[in-house]
Amino acid sequence: MNRDEKLDHLLRSRRFESASADLAQRIIMKARTLPQAPNIPFWDSMRQLFAEFHLPKPGYVLASALMLGLVIGLSTPQDRSPLAEESSASVQSFLAADETLL
Amino acid sequence: MPAAWPDKDDHELLERIQDGNGQAFAALVERHTDRFYRLAYRYLQSKEAAEDVVQDAFLKLWENPALWQPQRNSKFTTWFYRVVVNLCLDLRKRKRPAVLEDETSIIDERQPADEMMIRAQEQDALEKAIGSLPERQRTALNLCFDLGLTNQEAAEIMGLRLKALQSLIMRAKTTLKERMKDYL
Repeated sequence: MNRDEKLDHLLRSRRFESASADLAQRIIMKARTLPQAPNIPFWDSMRQLFAEFHLPKPGYVLASALMLGLVIGLSTPQDRSPLAEESSASVQSFLAADETLL
Repeated sequence: MPAAWPDKDDHELLERIQDGNGQAFAALVERHTDRFYRLAYRYLQSKEAAEDVVQDAFLKLWENPALWQPQRNSKFTTWFYRVVVNLCLDLRKRKRPAVLEDETSIIDERQPADEMMIRAQEQDALEKAIGSLPERQRTALNLCFDLGLTNQEAAEIMGLRLKALQSLIMRAKTTLKERMKDYL
């Protein structure tokens, strides 16, 4: 046997202390006392998330939008202050000036 | 408990474990405990520590089976070897082993004795020589010589190319031959 073979032989026959005969059973028993983290795949979790949202029927959506618009429209006061009128007049004169240039 | 589902491969057992099946877990543990213990023992040189590491590794898998991702890991054993090796390295970092005796003292003390004694000294010297190798060289030796894996499997576990693994083994053996010259 040459040196390489002797070394290979030594490497394959290294000292070893066997595991306890009940190691596997100990692991199994211990696992029984531990809860498992839930394993929810990504798409399932997304589906679950969207299932939480219930969109109303289109008719209700339209009616609600109209009602909301009406309420906002009626509740907003018409701006008739002198400042607003002045601003409107300045805009008009600006536009008129622009037209004369053309 | 007798090993359940001998006909099921690791992949099928893992799918069942992900559904919370304890019997599948038991089957997987019974199937692989010894080989992973052997690997851990080589790193830690302690029966108790190696058993603890193997237990930790399996319990982590049970508690969080989503750790195993078949799309990313081709083979369960390849992936789990890596898990066990990492746990061993973490443990070794936390508990630095006692400083090894100077190996020359053992060689010098070698006396003509019976076969058993020479064999024991040889083993001591070998363990010390292996213990002084760089981590990656030692891992390569453990995987290929002790666990009997092919070079290709060992390369996969270590995340190396085959050539790189072969080079690690060659360097390790060169060093060992030098350090073990009195025994070879």
